[in-house]
Amino acid sequence: MKKAAIYQQKRAGAPGWFNKWVQSPRWLLGFAIVATLCLAVYAAGTVYGQSTAASTLGMAYGIAAAIVGVAVVAYGGRRRAQRIRSLGRTWYYLEVHVYGGVLFLLLVFMHTAFRVPQGLLTWLLWVTSLWMTVSGLFGLVLQKWIPTLLASGLSVEVHVDRIPDLIVELRNRADALVETAAEPVRALYRREVAPVMEGPQPRWIYYIDATGGFRSKARRFEHIRRLLPGADQAALDELLELYRTKLEMDAHFTLQRTLRAWLYLHVPAAILMFGLLVLHVFFVLYY
Amino acid sequence: MTDQTMLVRAALFRDRWSTNGDRTGIRRQSTQMTVEQLKKLEILKDLKDSVLEELIPDISVAQWEPGAMLFEEGSYLDLAFYIVEGDVDLFLQKHEGAAGPIFNTRQLTARDIADARQQVPQSPQSAGAVPASPSSPEQFTYLSTMDFDLARGTTQRLTKGDIFGEIGALNGWPQSVTARAATLTTLVQIRLPALRKLKRAATGFKAHVDRVYRERTLLHHLRTTPPLRGCSEMALEALARKVELRSLEPNEPLTREGETADAVYLVRSGFLKLSQSLGAGDLVVTYVSKGMTIGEVEALIDGVVNWQVSTVAAGYCEVVRIDVADFLELVRAHPAVEARLWESTVARIKEAGFTRKNPERAELIEFALARGLAQGNSILVMDLDVCTRCDDCVRGCASTHEGRPRFVREGERFGNFLVPRSCFHCEDPVCLIGCPTGAIRRTNVGEVIAIDDALCIGCGSCADNCPYDAIVMHDTGTVWPEHALPERLRGEERLVASKCDLCHDSDAGPACVNSCPHACAFRVSSLDEFDALLRGETPAHALLRGETRADGQ
Repeated sequence: MKKAAIYQQKRAGAPGWFNKWVQSPRWLLGFAIVATLCLAVYAAGTVYGQSTAASTLGMAYGIAAAIVGVAVVAYGGRRRAQRIRSLGRTWYYLEVHVYGGVLFLLLVFMHTAFRVPQGLLTWLLWVTSLWMTVSGLFGLVLQKWIPTLLASGLSVEVHVDRIPDLIVELRNRADALVETAAEPVRALYRREVAPVMEGPQPRWIYYIDATGGFRSKARRFEHIRRLLPGADQAALDELLELYRTKLEMDAHFTLQRTLRAWLYLHVPAAILMFGLLVLHVFFVLYY
Repeated sequence: MTDQTMLVRAALFRDRWSTNGDRTGIRRQSTQMTVEQLKKLEILKDLKDSVLEELIPDISVAQWEPGAMLFEEGSYLDLAFYIVEGDVDLFLQKHEGAAGPIFNTRQLTARDIADARQQVPQSPQSAGAVPASPSSPEQFTYLSTMDFDLARGTTQRLTKGDIFGEIGALNGWPQSVTARAATLTTLVQIRLPALRKLKRAATGFKAHVDRVYRERTLLHHLRTTPPLRGCSEMALEALARKVELRSLEPNEPLTREGETADAVYLVRSGFLKLSQSLGAGDLVVTYVSKGMTIGEVEALIDGVVNWQVSTVAAGYCEVVRIDVADFLELVRAHPAVEARLWESTVARIKEAGFTRKNPERAELIEFALARGLAQGNSILVMDLDVCTRCDDCVRGCASTHEGRPRFVREGERFGNFLVPRSCFHCEDPVCLIGCPTGAIRRTNVGEVIAIDDALCIGCGSCADNCPYDAIVMHDTGTVWPEHALPERLRGEERLVASKCDLCHDSDAGPACVNSCPHACAFRVSSLDEFDALLRGETPAHALLRGETRADGQ
């Protein structure tokens, strides 16, 4: 029987947050060992005066950082070469990307002896490396946090690109519904619902409460509901359901776009950093 | 597209009433028939006009050329055939080396059947050409989908008044033989909806179907039912004579909790939902499917005389009713069988107890039955608590399938898991029924069902049949060329049906799972695996099994 790779190794008995943040304890352990070894080597090197970028060990840190950097960007390449199945699982590349990215920054720091470089190019390289890693970690936090918000608070699941069309559909359904409804329902619709139905409306509240404060908004519906006969109550309930769905779509719109938008902080910096890295290597070799 | 494909397609498409047949031609075929015309058919003559009117859309009469292939072993039919005039030969043929694109369906099953046949004592009738039973309206010859009496190299001839194919159609089983018109043959072709109505409305027809099932298939069915394996042939034959066959409509109750349990039921096809009263309502404790039994708990445990569960059919369901006294007589004579039944009884009680303690399990079972997960052999699920909605799964799928993704990242939610609209690779794939060219078929890799783009004419039959919206029609952006066959396609927009094929041709496994950078996409092949995921247990075994299946290893 062919043994397939088992790559999500949750630990039975581990707290939920640990399993969410650490998909593979082995990778974390491996990273911790390598990082500790690096720091130990650095500490030993400083004793022997090998702490500058120009020293043998300093050069070695720089070369190691460049190699790790290349391994880190392989993730982007893997995502764009999904047709080539023999390249292995994308998940492995992401693990390398995350742990390798942090290791890269550590090696850069070791390369610069934990000081800010003075030259313009090296300073830029240092800053972009730092920015790239910090923005990557920020993205990692978003990727752990936002899916939980979306999964726990919302009942619908929707593709972000379809949301504008789906909202138009919701709006049409709501319009048709209130046409024959009682005046209190129509008034409530005009006042509370119709403005919300205009289109996707990103709001900050969704970062805290994915329902967008739906429970408090539903109270207004409940108040009107008591005044209505049975048939109109059904219409009001349906309207409330449409309203809730719309708010959930807004939540998806806000949060899913955030999951994409953070890449603008990360990817351009990474591209710039690699350009600078090539220049840096060129100048080092040339001079 | 090669001309050869066109020729094959043209040959196959001439008639939608025939499924997957290598068509040498229908000479004539009826348009929609009238009640008066239907009444002239022996098989339908006793039915009321109102029933016949309901049957009209699903019945036609066709005259087949001598030598015309009606269907081949391994193919799925939604048709039964009644011979009005002429002869039909039934035989087995080897698939090895057959290069035709149509008839490769379920090759493994065909081979399995051949292997199994070698272990079954051959009937004395099986040598040489076997005449069918006398063909009076009262004595139809029935050929089941699991006819083990027909040896390879022999032919069985069916003649006027015989009916065949209905058990396969009613149960969603593939045909185990190939059928060919031996002479100029006139056949009444009855589609599945009409078959179901006939079984309900025509007691004579039901009796015939049941009788031939009893004669040809029941014994084998009993023999291969896991709890009854190991019973002597003689005992099973005696049992087969006593059992009752029942057909259930969707949501039709079979047992009621608290009523006297007087039978054990064996499921022939479909699903039964088992529930127990809890508080003010009913709690679904489990479900049983083809080959499983209910009633052994009540039969075996002394002092338990009433049904411990209420049972209703989840969809159309066929069951075998075994009287409890006959059942006990059988198992008492076979200690090994009794021991095995005790094991399954304990397992059933444990499962019911577990579900009562964990009502969310009941919710999962209901969800699985309602949404078809219970049918599935490989179901894509996504952990939304981890998924970053990056859509790499869809892109990965598209990039390995000529830019056309085979699923969308939308669908039903259960807990924190999304069940996208992706093919479940059903145990009983209704999408296979009615494909005019045989483009959609089982591959020879596990239970994988795939579509051959070259043969697909974009008719949408499979997409319409799929109850789970897992097949989509893609516009290729081109039109059919001027030499396309069938001719009516020429100049039309070219559509192609598209569905998950589990990337069965790749050692790397399904691209959706492979491409997910966050390891939140899984393939599960059973409810237990899904349950394990939901409970946050390690999905390792689920992944391993899913991928192994996809790899066909």
